[in-house]
Amino acid sequence: MHEQSLFASVPVHQHHELLQQLAGLTAMQPRHCLERRLIFKAYRKPGMAGRIGASQDLQQGDLQRLNKMLNGNMYYTQVVGPVSESDFGSTAPIDRDTQMAGMDDSKPYDSSSPSYDYERQPWKLEFRDIPEAGTRSAVTSRLMSSATLPRGDVVEAMNAWGYHFITEYVVEGDMFVLNDIAIFLHRVLHYPGGDESSLPRRQLPALKDMTLFEKSGSYVLQAFIIVQDGSNQETMKTASQHLFGLREQLKSAVLLEQADRLSLDTRAK
Amino acid sequence: MSNLTQEQIKVLEQSRQRLVQLTRSLGSLIASLNQSDPLPPWTSLQSQASIISNNLISVSDQLSDQRDLLSNLVAYPGPEYPGRTQANTLEQLLRTKLDPRVEDWVARGRAAGTESTGPSNFSDPDAAYKPLSDAQLAELWEWAPLEANQEARRRNWGGNFTLEEREAGIENVVTGLRRQLEDDDGEEESEGEEEDGEEMDVVGVHRKPGAAEFEYNIAPHHPHPVQPFVPLDLILRYMTTGRMP
Repeated sequence: MHEQSLFASVPVHQHHELLQQLAGLTAMQPRHCLERRLIFKAYRKPGMAGRIGASQDLQQGDLQRLNKMLNGNMYYTQVVGPVSESDFGSTAPIDRDTQMAGMDDSKPYDSSSPSYDYERQPWKLEFRDIPEAGTRSAVTSRLMSSATLPRGDVVEAMNAWGYHFITEYVVEGDMFVLNDIAIFLHRVLHYPGGDESSLPRRQLPALKDMTLFEKSGSYVLQAFIIVQDGSNQETMKTASQHLFGLREQLKSAVLLEQADRLSLDTRAK
Repeated sequence: MSNLTQEQIKVLEQSRQRLVQLTRSLGSLIASLNQSDPLPPWTSLQSQASIISNNLISVSDQLSDQRDLLSNLVAYPGPEYPGRTQANTLEQLLRTKLDPRVEDWVARGRAAGTESTGPSNFSDPDAAYKPLSDAQLAELWEWAPLEANQEARRRNWGGNFTLEEREAGIENVVTGLRRQLEDDDGEEESEGEEEDGEEMDVVGVHRKPGAAEFEYNIAPHHPHPVQPFVPLDLILRYMTTGRMP
């Protein structure tokens, strides 16, 4: 899949008006989203690269592909989990084992008191390549892929795949959809304390204690279209034309632009 | 019974012409409904309907204008009329009563006419001043936004004056504003950004010819503009790799 996008920086004083304008333009109410984003970085497992033995049964083509996979570029990748406002600042649910000991495991979790259960947090792995270089059209186009991960703790699974946890942050924003364009007006929130924990948090602090990454509170506007078949020039062209159409429509409010390619560089050096 | 004057024949001829036009436009509507698949677009149906309605109006005007003459005329066959071969037409022409089917139509039309102008309104003269019921309100709300949008789309937005005002001369327009409005045809509104410190002005919504959507011309005024400290690149870089700027 390919993602084509345009970005704009939205100063905080313009945020409210822009929300209204987007609601008017898209004829929909904004969909508020909160996401936990965990950043993982690939590392080369010792002994994996350049291994030659036990390759007799592999076809030559397969071998090449495997070598490319193992020795090719390594990337940062994100694990994204949707959370809700009530997940913040809530306590962990009663331990499942205790509940089972009480013999009422037929009853689901006590949903009356808000609680955040890290073990039940759904996750999605989102991979984005570095944006394509030297494309003639002025949109950021990059290869992307996403996959659903098992709920709960992903670090172990990610480690097994050769990724280790770097950091995490929360993205807060509003989503709009205009025909085939998704419009995401968002900003990054930091966890208070700022201590770089080596594992994802199991508890979320209160939302009001979260600090802004960009101190003035500005937002990032991303308009994107996901194209299933990136090799189809026709659909890619249509998608970028749609994005240009949106840019025209919004140009007096915000200036949507191609992002700096290197700022979206996901290659791990 | 005297012979018809030239004038009266002309009147009859005119009525005939108008009736012919009416039957023609009815015929073409029926044909387009019957034959075209898929159905013709509603705009074409609408325009045909309005043609028919215009034809009906002209027929009705003609009939009521010449009422005296037409109600006094009596048809009878002349000696040279081919009564044997055209017996059917002759019967039609000599009828004094309407066809039963037509009589039904006429009765229905009369009933509809008295309903709309008749007793219901006269018996309740306050009806026009009563507030709308909830259902009526709901109906209005359903209708109004679409209709308003349609109306808005029909216009070429931008600039400070409507076409009507411009045609009548913009000096005569009472704007109630102290500052002078320029008649700039809606091109360079966003240039006035720095001038006054209001919040946000939607200074114009205009539609480019050929484009279906509106453009919003917004002059981003704000009393306390706060520009972001961190450039977009660094935010994106952080979001991608988690590296602090």
